[in-house]
Amino acid sequence: MSVIVECRNLVKDYQQGETVVEALRGVSVSFEKGEFVSISGPSGSGKSTLLHIIGSLEQPTSGEVLVDGISLSSESKRELADMRLNRIGFVFQAYNLLPVLTVLENVEFISQLQGVDTATRRGQARKLLDEVGLNGLEDRLPAQISGGQQQRVAVARALAGNPAIVLADEPTANLDSKNSDELLALMSKLNRESGVTFIVATHDPRVIAHTRRQITLTDGQVTTDQRQAA
Amino acid sequence: MNMLRLLFPFAWRNLWRNRRRTLITLLVVSIGVWSILTFNSVIRAWADGSLASSLKNMTAEAQIHARGYLDQPDIAHSFAKPSGNLEKVLDGPLVAHWAPRIRVPAIVQSEYETLPVTLAGIDPGREVGVSFIGEAMAEGRNLDDASDAGVLLGRHLATRLKTEVGKRIVIMANDANGRLVERGARVEGIFAASSEMEDQFVFTGLLPARKLLHVQQQLSEIAVMTPQDIPLAKALAAMQNTAPGLDIEGWATLQPMTRGIHDLTNGFIYIWLWVMFVLIAIGVVNTQLMAVFERTREFGLLQALGFRPSWIVLEVMLEAVQIIGLGVLVGAIGALMTVTALSGGISLSGLGLSAGADFLGVTRVLYPRLDVSEFFVTVVVIWGLGVLTVLWPARRAAGFDAIEAMHSN
Repeated sequence: MSVIVECRNLVKDYQQGETVVEALRGVSVSFEKGEFVSISGPSGSGKSTLLHIIGSLEQPTSGEVLVDGISLSSESKRELADMRLNRIGFVFQAYNLLPVLTVLENVEFISQLQGVDTATRRGQARKLLDEVGLNGLEDRLPAQISGGQQQRVAVARALAGNPAIVLADEPTANLDSKNSDELLALMSKLNRESGVTFIVATHDPRVIAHTRRQITLTDGQVTTDQRQAA
Repeated sequence: MNMLRLLFPFAWRNLWRNRRRTLITLLVVSIGVWSILTFNSVIRAWADGSLASSLKNMTAEAQIHARGYLDQPDIAHSFAKPSGNLEKVLDGPLVAHWAPRIRVPAIVQSEYETLPVTLAGIDPGREVGVSFIGEAMAEGRNLDDASDAGVLLGRHLATRLKTEVGKRIVIMANDANGRLVERGARVEGIFAASSEMEDQFVFTGLLPARKLLHVQQQLSEIAVMTPQDIPLAKALAAMQNTAPGLDIEGWATLQPMTRGIHDLTNGFIYIWLWVMFVLIAIGVVNTQLMAVFERTREFGLLQALGFRPSWIVLEVMLEAVQIIGLGVLVGAIGALMTVTALSGGISLSGLGLSAGADFLGVTRVLYPRLDVSEFFVTVVVIWGLGVLTVLWPARRAAGFDAIEAMHSN
């Protein structure tokens, strides 16, 4: 398998008053194409920070990240925005959708930004909504569907731009167990079918159990990195 | 272009997320634009009316004099009636009306009073469209023609002289030889005008005035009005070229006070425009800032999804383009309707302002009108500048840190 994300000796410090908080302390880890990985650890272990740095939403204090062979540290703000648009899909804990757009428009949004023609992107968006089980809800606004359904829309949108990786930050944190299980099953299925790498930051044991590779962070360092047998 | 097609409806929907705020912004912009355009047209009517009244008060748009007359306006500083090229220009397309005049200082005496005045010998037929006389008769009759030996007095002067139509008065002035000459004349009419005009002028026919002052074909003054579509400067230049020995000046030089008031009024229009624009801009920037800060998390999300900072600026600006554009449109239509409704004239007498209008020498009826080019320039400038003021909140939105924005409440 080919490496899709490579983190080299990542360090991230935050200045809080006169104190320096070390969120990441020399994290080196690689992710291969098609992997379904969880990054877990207690609060403050650095899992969200690692995810944000991989997603180019934050810059490391030192170290380097390569996504699809491209070093993020050498990219301009605009290039990083284009990188997120074209290569990275995001699923956040909450507030994922644009409230003025319908479910279908939310899914279409990324491919519309990419300049995909109307017929292609609409067909693709409908197919994705079908895959995440939201057929018939295309014209609803986000406020008119449940939290679990909103997360499914977010997953569909994350895949709509044909990304190399999908980064999910605590995607089940606001969901009940039924909706969590359904979302995890959906993400596993899409990971298998699309071959897109899923990296999920979580402290939810059910999520960790669903992934085929589990990385644990403690105090900003990788303490375990286990792969399940295929 | 593709991005505009995506963001235009997106911006429109975002605009109406908070209907109340959007409607208030719309109202602020509409009322601001309406008041700018309506006030502008009323003030412009005031300025035009004031200027027209001033010009009709024996100034006209331009005057021709002998050199030295303006410093010493006596009959010694007179000039021969126009001939040759000057006459051709006066009778040509650059001049709408011109009126020959004798205009000298004089004394008028009744059986009760003796008062200083300006004696104006006129051809009443030529004064039509040049001065107020003829349109302002309050009692009696106007002069019949240039040979009419009767006199016209202002209402106030007649009161001070304790005379009336039908009575005789005596006019005294220095003739061309410097001798004091006099003649008796019958008061044929009383005119009503501004108090200054009523007190200053005594009108008689041009020929009797010449006869009194012992001149043959001489004139003190020619008053000139140009057609509306001819720039005054062009007519002035033509006249000056053909009569280099005469003083030929426009109203702005002859009446610096009138020019000052005219400039001040126009300046006031721009002050009002800027005051209203600043109020509009404060309202729009304020509401757009509120809208931006309310959507901080959303702007963070947009950045995370790959929205370039310039697209965020564009999106916020498009919201401003739409709301200000709509407000400008509503305000402009409102102003157009208001000015059209008022175009028949606003009577200052009806508003109890006639005395003030007379004092200021302004017409008693204002005729507001919208100057088409000024209308469009104002509308476009307000729209353009209004949108530019939103650049600040737009840049703030684009400058949010994505992670901090998404974690904000």
